[in-house]
Amino acid sequence: MAAGREMTEGYHILEHPSDLGIEASGRSLKEVFEYAALGLVSIIADPATVDPAERRFVRLEGSDHENLLVKWLSEILYLYDGQQFLPSDVEITRLTATELGAVVAGEPVNEKKHALKMDVKAITYHQLKVEERKDGCLVRVFVDI
Amino acid sequence: MLSVMLAEMSVMIQKLDDYRYLVPKSFRDGMKVEGLIYANDELIKAIEHDQTVMQVANVATLPGLVGRSLAMPDAHQGYGFAIGGVAAADIHTGVVSAGGVGFDINCGVRLLRSDLSLADVMPKLDPLLNQMFRDIPCGTGRKGIVGGLSDDELDDVLGNGAHWAVKRGYGTEQDLLHIEETGRIPNADPNRVSKRAKERGRDQLGTLGSGNHFAEVQYVEAVFDEEAAEAFGLRLQQVVILIHTGSRGLGHQVCTDYLEMMQTAMRKYNITIVDRQLACVPIRSPEGQSYLSAMAAAANFAFANRQMITHWTREAFTRVLGKGELNVIYDVCHNIAKEEEHEIDGRRRTVLVHRKGATRAFPKHRPEIPKDYFEVGQPVLIPGSMGTCSYVLVGTERAMDETFGSSCHGAGRSKSRHAAKKEISADELIQELKEKGIHVRGASKSGLTEENPNAYKDVSQVVEVVHNAGIAKKVAKLVPVGVIKG
Repeated sequence: MAAGREMTEGYHILEHPSDLGIEASGRSLKEVFEYAALGLVSIIADPATVDPAERRFVRLEGSDHENLLVKWLSEILYLYDGQQFLPSDVEITRLTATELGAVVAGEPVNEKKHALKMDVKAITYHQLKVEERKDGCLVRVFVDI
Repeated sequence: MLSVMLAEMSVMIQKLDDYRYLVPKSFRDGMKVEGLIYANDELIKAIEHDQTVMQVANVATLPGLVGRSLAMPDAHQGYGFAIGGVAAADIHTGVVSAGGVGFDINCGVRLLRSDLSLADVMPKLDPLLNQMFRDIPCGTGRKGIVGGLSDDELDDVLGNGAHWAVKRGYGTEQDLLHIEETGRIPNADPNRVSKRAKERGRDQLGTLGSGNHFAEVQYVEAVFDEEAAEAFGLRLQQVVILIHTGSRGLGHQVCTDYLEMMQTAMRKYNITIVDRQLACVPIRSPEGQSYLSAMAAAANFAFANRQMITHWTREAFTRVLGKGELNVIYDVCHNIAKEEEHEIDGRRRTVLVHRKGATRAFPKHRPEIPKDYFEVGQPVLIPGSMGTCSYVLVGTERAMDETFGSSCHGAGRSKSRHAAKKEISADELIQELKEKGIHVRGASKSGLTEENPNAYKDVSQVVEVVHNAGIAKKVAKLVPVGVIKG
């Protein structure tokens, strides 16, 4: 399981006038999908203030990797904004061209404990990139804030 | 590659006059109509700097588009559609795109007028702002005062919008007369809104939110059109309140859900698009109608939201000042798709007008506008960036001829939030605004600096362009003295 607070080198936040993006790189697609989720959490709150107290299981189907990435991050956002559950660690347990399975650890949102930073409205397809190469993988995704 | 494209862009778009730039069909393959951008020499440079022009051209490739693919002077790069974009599609042959409305469905503004002048309010401005800041839930993660609504109650909100709010004691019947669509879009269907969207919205009703949303105490600094100002009840030095917020997580999720649905459904209708974010379906298809019913429900949520915030603002006014009546001047949507009748190439047609970061700007004598504004036209409310100034304009005939009765919606961002934050600390910004006579209450310091006014285009310049182009006319300029920031 990828721990959020140790992995800042796996993702970085991209800044544009009207956008905020997440770019993640790693050895495998699974890893970059994990980093991308941690990147999203880091936009919403300070990951260092969130403990992996509970687990949620995620299973998604999609039409391709791009679609799965948007759905996966939308799921993380829904856990936060719809279920008031703030993830801290994630592990992708299954990833094919059309399916994704994951375990998400985190805890219920607590405004006194968690340093909440910003509301994210949605995950977009704008300039979305999923690159799978022999020497490593990269994803880029922009979120609406 | 991209830099070459940008360099060529100035050659490829044609300046028609001081305020109009044409994007010809030769700009990119597949454009079914031309693009038209409203800007002056300075604003066009900012517009050319990002992908706005390409997005205007991309929108022009959508099936069934009529007239032109438009961008207002505050336009900047969005997702699929540019923010500040307007596009109309034929109701029978055209498409509806969830991205053409955007994630914050019915993000909009409402203007309230008081019967007090600045001199009446200034001595108690700080306690008033404190009271408003206490009573209006704002900021990241803040829950609404009403708490979790039951399923039936939430459906009532989605079906009836501001009418629900008035029924529950938030404001009066009179308020409804001065809201676009009277604060209730009729074809809303709560059953078309997903459980997830309802979960995201349930606790957020009656909250301002964060980002660029705000409530401001302002006064009328200048009046440009006496007749319209009188009809709207505006006079010099009068205190007014501007509320800027939308449909919160509920609307964001509706857009997310239908973008996904449209991507799949599109294949059935053999629609191909140049940008995945432009996913769309025929307006008259079951999927198109389903989206429009869900969009209307989300829009109603936003109308109810602004109605509740109006109520708490009134309570704060009464408690602190002991006097002062607040009346709704108008409430407009900035992100919406509407079925409207327009004359296109000499023929009256029913079209679906997508306004994404744009305001309806109907002229006098249109049946859609309130009776008491019938002889002057619809108020067009343009909020500036935090602590600068805002404008009231009025719709024109020319807007009907050129822009499907639409105009700009604000200043438009020009710098990233990160760059905005780096420029100034929150304390410095609060001090700087205070020196300008603007008092700020913000839920988060970081949120404040991200909305640093220097990160936005000059709203006055944007307004000058629409005024001079004739697609809305200036009525009054409003200057803030107090800001409540999410």
